[in-house]
Amino acid sequence: MAVTLADHLRALPDEELAALIALRPDLVMPVPGDISALAVRAQSRLSVARSLDALDRFTLEVLDAVRVTRDPQTATTSVEAVLLLTGEGGVDKTRVREALGRLRELAIIYGSDATLHLSDGVDDVCSPYPSGLGRPADELSPAAAALVSDAARLRRTLLAAPPAARAVLDRLAAGPPIGTANRAVLNDPDSDSPVRWLVTRHLLVPTGGDTVELPREISLLLRRETGPLGELHPTPPEVDAPVREISAADRAGAGQAMEAVRNAEALAEALAADPAPILRSGGLGVRELRRLARAIGLTEPDAALLLEVAYAAGLLGESGGETGDAVVLPAAGYDTWRIGTLAQRWTRLAQAWLLMTRMPSLVGQRDDRERLLPALSNDVERVGAPAQRRAILGVLADLPPGTAPTPDDLRSVLAWRAPRRMGRAAASAGYDAALSEAATLGFTGLGALTSYARWLLAEVDAADRADPDADPLGIGPDEPPSRALEALDALLPAPVDHVLVQTDLTVVVPGPPEPGLAGELALVADAESPSVYRVTPDSVRRALDSGYVAADLHALFQRRSRTPVPQALTYLVDDVSRRHGGLRVGSAGAYLRGDDEALLAEVLADRRLAMLSLRRLAPTVLISPYAPARLLAALREAGYSPVPEDATGAAVLSRPRSPRAPARPAAPSRRIEDPRNQPRLTPARLAGIVEQLRRGDAATRAARRAPTTVRSQPGSAGLAGAQAHAQAMAVLQQALRDKARVWVGYVDAHGATNSRLVRPVSMGAGYLRAEDERTEMLHTFALHRITAAVPEESPSP
Amino acid sequence: MTDGPLIVQSDKTLLLEVDHPDAGACRMAIAPFAELERSPEHVHTYRLTPLGLWNARAAGHDAESVVDALLRFSRYPVPHALLVDVAETMDRYGRLQLANHPTHGLVLQASDRAVLIEVAKSKKLAGMLGAKVDADTVAVHPSERGRLKQALLKLGWPAEDLAGYVDGEAHPISLTEDGWSLRSYQREAVDSFWAGGSGVVVLPCGAGKTMVGAGAMAEAKATTLILVTNTVAGHQWKRELLARTSLTEDEIGEYSGERKEIRPVTIATYQVLTSRRGGAFTHLDLFSARDWGLVIYDEVHLLPAPIFRFTADLQARRRLGLTATLVREDGREGDVFSLIGPKRYDAPWKDIEAQGWIAPADCTEVRVTLTEEERMAYATAEPEERYRMAATARTKLPVVKAIVDKHAGDQVLVIGAYIDQLHQLSEYLDAPVVQGATTTKERERLFDAFRAGELSTLVISRVGNFSIDLPEAAVAIQVSGTYGSRQEEAQRLGRVLRPKADGRQAHFYTVVARDTIDTEYAAHRQRFLAEQGYAYSIVDADDVLSA
Repeated sequence: MAVTLADHLRALPDEELAALIALRPDLVMPVPGDISALAVRAQSRLSVARSLDALDRFTLEVLDAVRVTRDPQTATTSVEAVLLLTGEGGVDKTRVREALGRLRELAIIYGSDATLHLSDGVDDVCSPYPSGLGRPADELSPAAAALVSDAARLRRTLLAAPPAARAVLDRLAAGPPIGTANRAVLNDPDSDSPVRWLVTRHLLVPTGGDTVELPREISLLLRRETGPLGELHPTPPEVDAPVREISAADRAGAGQAMEAVRNAEALAEALAADPAPILRSGGLGVRELRRLARAIGLTEPDAALLLEVAYAAGLLGESGGETGDAVVLPAAGYDTWRIGTLAQRWTRLAQAWLLMTRMPSLVGQRDDRERLLPALSNDVERVGAPAQRRAILGVLADLPPGTAPTPDDLRSVLAWRAPRRMGRAAASAGYDAALSEAATLGFTGLGALTSYARWLLAEVDAADRADPDADPLGIGPDEPPSRALEALDALLPAPVDHVLVQTDLTVVVPGPPEPGLAGELALVADAESPSVYRVTPDSVRRALDSGYVAADLHALFQRRSRTPVPQALTYLVDDVSRRHGGLRVGSAGAYLRGDDEALLAEVLADRRLAMLSLRRLAPTVLISPYAPARLLAALREAGYSPVPEDATGAAVLSRPRSPRAPARPAAPSRRIEDPRNQPRLTPARLAGIVEQLRRGDAATRAARRAPTTVRSQPGSAGLAGAQAHAQAMAVLQQALRDKARVWVGYVDAHGATNSRLVRPVSMGAGYLRAEDERTEMLHTFALHRITAAVPEESPSP
Repeated sequence: MTDGPLIVQSDKTLLLEVDHPDAGACRMAIAPFAELERSPEHVHTYRLTPLGLWNARAAGHDAESVVDALLRFSRYPVPHALLVDVAETMDRYGRLQLANHPTHGLVLQASDRAVLIEVAKSKKLAGMLGAKVDADTVAVHPSERGRLKQALLKLGWPAEDLAGYVDGEAHPISLTEDGWSLRSYQREAVDSFWAGGSGVVVLPCGAGKTMVGAGAMAEAKATTLILVTNTVAGHQWKRELLARTSLTEDEIGEYSGERKEIRPVTIATYQVLTSRRGGAFTHLDLFSARDWGLVIYDEVHLLPAPIFRFTADLQARRRLGLTATLVREDGREGDVFSLIGPKRYDAPWKDIEAQGWIAPADCTEVRVTLTEEERMAYATAEPEERYRMAATARTKLPVVKAIVDKHAGDQVLVIGAYIDQLHQLSEYLDAPVVQGATTTKERERLFDAFRAGELSTLVISRVGNFSIDLPEAAVAIQVSGTYGSRQEEAQRLGRVLRPKADGRQAHFYTVVARDTIDTEYAAHRQRFLAEQGYAYSIVDADDVLSA
């Protein structure tokens, strides 16, 4: 008897039902009303597809076996039948049972071993040809059914097949069982096409259109070698890849990891020096990316990767910027990140990369509209990216340590693990990108997963699995120290606190500088390459500007250098510091100068002038922050006799003048004739005004007379449309010849009906050009839009 | 983590800590493929360049050995990407080979068909390739051998030239090693060159490059064309060849502005070859005047552009380049590689100095304080006049005199760039001047007198920058130069680096005006000296005058 999935679920003990929900959480989002609703949802296409996507190739092959062995009447099968069929393919029974167990857990199949039911949605989301087998012959055509029912005849027919036809058969038998054939060829009795040969002998059945299908029975017969289900894949493909010494891989990876950290820092510094503007459409433009890439000496794809990772790790952020346009620049988190150890910094970047839902490899590519995808824009957002990364690194992690497989190897394993996900080409590109990014960031070294990355993946997995409710207040014991961090720390060089100073004024840091040293070096020297700095006059001046004095610099080099400080450096520092501050710049409102030093001294000492805040620059020069006028006034008040001077130093002497307002036009000298002061109109203007009035009047009157035929209402009775149009054309032709004015009724671009009094100028190419005398404009009407035309003088009805 | 002497940086520079116990072994391991960029006292900088890696490939090193050397000596983890890049770059050399096909003559062969297809499509190769011989072989017009190599190098697929050389017209030449013999490094240089067929030998000034040339000629035993920078250098070659080889006066010809002799061994100057009449090079026939078996290029780093063009047509002849540095100020290192050949031998200056073949030099910068008057004149001078003002300050004269007096008994060269100043110096020091306008005969006379010790002080202009062998000069004083030219500095230093009969210390003084642009230029030039490992000290003029 038929058992529904709802019945089955209802009968399940609570824990098994909970287990199913744990495996398929989408079933309870939102929680369904009852078990029936749950069953309906469990058989929906979407939910079934989601469950099947996670299954490996072998389990899907067993699912196909279940579908193939279904009884056409009851739609059920049995474990026995499935085992029998897969057994012919030479697969271990326990493996098949395991696969069936997985399908049962997911409620893809249910029921007793003797009557296995298949969940409803499966047929909808799977290929209609399970195991690449076509439909049974009796579903396809009676002739084919007759053929397959006669085993001897079928064998004879097959043996008689010419080689080309046999090749077609073999290909279709391997699945999928569908082929396309040119219909013309199929119907051509003279054709010697192999497909036609097969069709006429009912080995292939045309199924409408130009497709042909191989009946299931014939496929099974032809699959004697491989088994009825075709080749089965109970185990993932073997990866035959070189094995690296794990320490070598670790070192290469650590080198790369160090690079990634250093470049991320360089990127942030480049952005700090010159924040990158954000495009109006979001993200960083190509030119900005190119600039950053050049600044840190990376290729653009690598720069894009680091940019995205640093952003995801919270090292970069957006801000309004100085001009109000948004810019990307280091975020507050950058400063805390920067003081961490190399390993800590790398771990932060690595975690951000693993979890970020972005695909940096898309940056710089073009979308469907041939638009370049900018970095940090929404266009490179891909929710599936983290899963892809975890999947491909997961495959790598499951291989023995040190294995360095090719991307193809990894993809073939992935294709076994989740064939339904790997099907798409875009997905496969995503996996390749994830691998190359892993290499760039130092997850892998020499193509093998490094030991610290292996730890990191395990830690991230553990964090994922951890019950978020276990310690809601975060007061539990501290997290155990990260093994990934320790492993990487052991590989990376310890920070150094000393340098080697050389005669050519280079300063070599033999390792990653500790933060204090890095800060000092950034100030007193220019970086030439990651480990080499150069002291230049500019860099010394920069240090002096920020408050160092020559003695400090000497002491600094003395303290930090493991080698004697070269004489050239000492000279350079002294030379620059000697000249440093040799010129001083300040601002003043006015100066006071005079040859008489005693007089200036007197002014400076004068208490009455204290409010001028005078300061002596030189024996003969005083300055004040106030404007010259105030200085003059105050000095004169105090009884001195100062003289102002201009920019060239010449004295500006002026006699006192009575204050006057600016000049304004004098009153007209000629009397106007008209005592009422009315404007006078010239005869020419008068004539013009009259003409204008007349023309306007005529137009208004004419407008009032616009004939109703022209002011047509939609649907109004009158001449039939076509006839009216023909008549209008005739009127227009006549008017054109007579140079007469016509009322033209037309439908404008908005579908409204309008009319206009115009004088036709020309007609042709589907357009009427006519002059409107009122507005003195030339109008162009599409002839098909003209609904009516009436001569001006025509009597209005 | 190992504690190696090498820091490998991702910008492809290698920092070698010279005081490290493994430094020597490391230097030996990386020298074949990395170019020594600078060698100040503590940390030497090497650079990995495509040319350097290809030079190494040409010398038979493979990518694995390079990667191994980097990993073995590196102090810190080496970025994976750099190793991949090294391997990929090296792998590009030799994918294409020029070879002699038994029936089709000169052909380009590919071990990688895709590369051949890629380059064949390039527009740069248009017209150079002939008919396809088979899928992996294309015929090459023999006249395009040089240009093809140039173009392929630009495309990043340098071809290995295995097409061999013509023997040229045989001529007996041998070294007459009576009481002397080639130094070990000279012998190594000759052997490496001969094994490689064509290429460049890099040796410092004074290390006896001429003898490497003579050694190569003795191997070739064929007519030889020697290209030198100027007539004086030509005479020097002649003198050396007469003294050290079986060649006689009649066998060596001089082809210069003054004489046009073509003999089994002909020495020609770049100048005469590149001189034009009516826009055409009139002396090109020299290259085909004889069936030369060997062409020697002296001072390859100065090779003028037209000579490259002629050299492109000489690819079937053995070519030996001699130079102190592969660095060209015009950046045409690639042309040297493709047209003359890969580097065949290289020895760092300091090593040769340590072996005692060149004199150790002590470099000193003497800072002169200008008088108040000179300072004002300098301060208000036009920008383009400033260097001249500072460099030719009269205040320098007594200082120069003091230095000359201090080295009384030594052979002193005073080097300057401004003729007026040279004449002032000549008067002040009572020493003759050699300058551009001095006739070759007069020059020879003065140089001979100097060599003989009859003349202890000589004032020379820019002509002294090149190829004059004045082995007894122990002191060089430069008072002015061509702005900050590093090359000039190297050449001038080279004047005093010839080993002295009594192993005396050589002295190299630079007199600069304090707080002027002269100091800046001097700093630029001295950076070069420091990078070559010559520590220099700075002293005040007053200390010199009072001493």
